[in-house]
Amino acid sequence: MTNIIDLNIKEKVYKNKKTQLSILNNFNLKVNAGEKIAIVGESGVGKSSLLNIIGLLDIDYNGEYTLLGSQTNNLHANELAQWRNQKIGFVLQESALINSLTIEDNIKLPLLYAGSGKFFFKEEDFENVINAIAIKPILKKKPLECSGGERSRAVFARGVIMKPQIILSDEPTASLDVENRERIVNLLFKMNKEFNTTIITVTHDLEMANRHDRVIHLERSR
Amino acid sequence: MKIFKFFITKIFLRKAILSISIILLLFMANYTTFIATRSILSTFQGYQEIKCMNQEGIYIANLDPDSDVDIDAIGENGTQIVYDYLNNNFNYAFYIDGFMVSLPNIDDMEISLSYMNEEYYELNQFELSQGTDLDFDYQFDKDKEIPILIGKGLSKTYPVGSTIKIEDPVLEQPITLIVQGVLKQNAYHSNFYDLNLKKYYNFSIFLPVNAEFIKNANIDLQLMNGLMDIVILQTTKEKTVDLSEVMQDNLGLKFNFFSQEENFDYFNEYYLYSLKIMSITTLILLVIITCLSIWNALVSIRLMLRDFTINLLVGLSYSKLRKIFYSYFGILFFINLIVIFSITAYNRYECWLRKDATLATYGFFGLIGMDWFALLVVFLSDIIIGKIIVENMLRKIKKIPISLGVLQ
Repeated sequence: MTNIIDLNIKEKVYKNKKTQLSILNNFNLKVNAGEKIAIVGESGVGKSSLLNIIGLLDIDYNGEYTLLGSQTNNLHANELAQWRNQKIGFVLQESALINSLTIEDNIKLPLLYAGSGKFFFKEEDFENVINAIAIKPILKKKPLECSGGERSRAVFARGVIMKPQIILSDEPTASLDVENRERIVNLLFKMNKEFNTTIITVTHDLEMANRHDRVIHLERSR
Repeated sequence: MKIFKFFITKIFLRKAILSISIILLLFMANYTTFIATRSILSTFQGYQEIKCMNQEGIYIANLDPDSDVDIDAIGENGTQIVYDYLNNNFNYAFYIDGFMVSLPNIDDMEISLSYMNEEYYELNQFELSQGTDLDFDYQFDKDKEIPILIGKGLSKTYPVGSTIKIEDPVLEQPITLIVQGVLKQNAYHSNFYDLNLKKYYNFSIFLPVNAEFIKNANIDLQLMNGLMDIVILQTTKEKTVDLSEVMQDNLGLKFNFFSQEENFDYFNEYYLYSLKIMSITTLILLVIITCLSIWNALVSIRLMLRDFTINLLVGLSYSKLRKIFYSYFGILFFINLIVIFSITAYNRYECWLRKDATLATYGFFGLIGMDWFALLVVFLSDIIIGKIIVENMLRKIKKIPISLGVLQ
């Protein structure tokens, strides 16, 4: 199996005027292509911070990170943005949509930054995604006109539209009912099965975590 | 371009109130800069013009504000005695204008007549675009032609060498003029007491005045305007005191004469002070408007933070976002410049529509040199304001982690 994530964090520090908080001390993570990993732990242990580091949203930490065979620490901001666009998909909570855009425009937003030449988008891929998650009727609606479940599915669609190699999901089902939660989880796993997409999920839901190949328990640094 | 269009149509313009308020604030900043720069420049030009008066031995007449003016009580004899005294004892520069006559011309403008003597003409060093300088040694005779200079606007109808017949308002008789030269485009005269104000000579006729001309002129030329701003050359304070007494005895009017030093003091007290006040007020106003613009931009960022961070999440980089902001503000500033340009060009054009001979000017796309210079200053101030606003907006966005911003 190909190792696609090799992360060694010595320390991640959050500072404000009065306090300093150190998390993820001496944390190492290796992930293989096509693996499904769940990250669990108490609030404040650094689950979302870890996801931000893996997703190249946060590069302000002490450590080294090799993603898809490339050292990411020295990547330029433009390259980081390009990697976020083409190699990583983010599936976040249902509120992570732009309210002034239609659901369709929200889903197609990553295509705006795909450039030309390197990424070939087929309208058929978009049709497949929206059919799979049954959101065709709401494509022309604005997020505030949709239910929480519909918005979650739209966020999911945006996260997978570029067919990323890695999907990072942060509490993707936190505010959903059972039916919608199952729908999202099944879609994530379907992506994993069909395209060998690596899935890393941050969750408080142990039942959901146990459906992954590996569960990582984060604990507070001592 | 696609990304920029997306941000304009789907992000910025969706918050109409914020967009409109920032456009208005930036317009205020630009228009204030434009007006202040033009006023300062115009005052500076006026100062440069009157600098020729601020020389050793030059005294400028000024009617005492406490002196009662009763024109009817002033007779021709009185003014003749004053002029005889002037002619016998002084060299003086004489200039009056404001006499309008109707004269056919292709722009259908009323024509302004300006009368000046040789000393005034030499003192001011008018530049010509065609022909030769004014000749003051002509023989005054109603059958002979008087050599004149004309403004550029009249030169299209009356080229050098052509003759003009007018009913002269100060001689109160028909005279024939011959065009000897054409003044440079947009030649002007600043108001001695408000240096910011100008009269342009594009539709003026310069008539040379000699002693004989004054003798034949009516009291309007001799007194009403002629003596009011008369400039005495190569003299002393004592001599001007004697002249003041002669004027008081014969005209019943008290005149003061101010020297170079007094003129400079006057300038420093009024014009330089007002220039400083204007500059400082503009600067303070600009700082306030810039702060308001920054505040407005930061409020916009707070309200649109999720929109920006979601874009950053899915592939937008900070450097691209910086380019988008600079392009957006660049367009706003460009629109402002176009609006200011249009307002100014229309104001200049309006003078032509109103047939206002003393304000009609020639320029590139209707704007004269000082307008273009003020637009350049606005452009430079836009670069500074734009940089301050954009860098503050980016700093605000960067302060908030993308992962938090998307869920805000």
